[in-house]
Amino acid sequence: MKPTNNDAHERARQLIALAGPEAVSADQLSSNAWLAAHLQGCASCRAFAANSVDAIHALRAIPIAAGRALVSTTQLRVRHRALELQRQRERLWLVAVCCVAVALSALVSTFVLWRGFAWIAARTHLASSVWQVAFLVFCVMPTLITAMLLLAKDNQLPPYTDYRG
Amino acid sequence: MAQESTEIARGLRRRDPDLLDRLIEQYQHRLLRYLVYLTGRRELAEDLFQETWIRVLERGHQFNDKYAFSTWLFAVARNLAIDAMRRKQPSSLDGLMNNHDDDDAPFDVPATAHASAFDLTLQREQGEHIAAGMQHLPAEYREALVLRFQEGMSLEEIATVARVPLGTVKSRIYRGLSALEPWLRGAPL
Repeated sequence: MKPTNNDAHERARQLIALAGPEAVSADQLSSNAWLAAHLQGCASCRAFAANSVDAIHALRAIPIAAGRALVSTTQLRVRHRALELQRQRERLWLVAVCCVAVALSALVSTFVLWRGFAWIAARTHLASSVWQVAFLVFCVMPTLITAMLLLAKDNQLPPYTDYRG
Repeated sequence: MAQESTEIARGLRRRDPDLLDRLIEQYQHRLLRYLVYLTGRRELAEDLFQETWIRVLERGHQFNDKYAFSTWLFAVARNLAIDAMRRKQPSSLDGLMNNHDDDDAPFDVPATAHASAFDLTLQREQGEHIAAGMQHLPAEYREALVLRFQEGMSLEEIATVARVPLGTVKSRIYRGLSALEPWLRGAPL
């Protein structure tokens, strides 16, 4: 299907718009014979090309510059934030090291306690099931006591009353 | 370019403040110009300028060195601009449109040196018209025109920054430029 006249204008204008002033330069026109031929015969597209070139040149000529104060404030803020992030990372590293230390000490102390309970059981001739249950109770005791204390504290709170009475 | 991007990516992962200082100096005008055109407001653009560099510091590890740094930088700035506008009104780039009611003119057009008085006047006049026309364009057209003709980005790079298909970028440039035409012919300021 042959392109209509409107399609040709549209195509020419798109070529001009997408390539900018370069599209209507002599070099480009020699490599794009179709556009050159179209512009030769179409006054409105020639005007569009000229206006586009002017618009782009005018656009490029508008200087918007960052002030010195803005740049130095930004640099200062970035450096400050970088320092904050570095401190945060160091704190995180410290927390991670503490977590590893706690895990390791928990592991070691559990092993030592297990051996201690076994030794006491051997000395007192206790059945293995008894000292093992005792060991279990000993391990969960802190958690149980804490839970009971928290429950007791909750029970002592005054009953909830609606603010409207 | 790839070598430069790799070095920047390495520096950003280390959060090297000296590298950031250098990048701020290097991209100061381009980034501010983009933000001014995108938001249409100099004050907001300056706030976003600072926020963009903080974000670059915080998210530097996300920079992929297969792209140019400027493409990523503009994408970061664009996201911040959209977030800022969403806080004001719940829409995306639409919120940046139709802000020509503001009294302050963000696009100041000073005369350029090394030209005759007539050329200067003509240039200044054209610049004023274009600046006024830009303020009346939808933000997405302004953005496409600035990235294409001021930043010299390729269509693919613009598509990456604006996160739209290539066809949309082409149509925005074409429509934006067409919409500027009447202003160049001397539409009222």
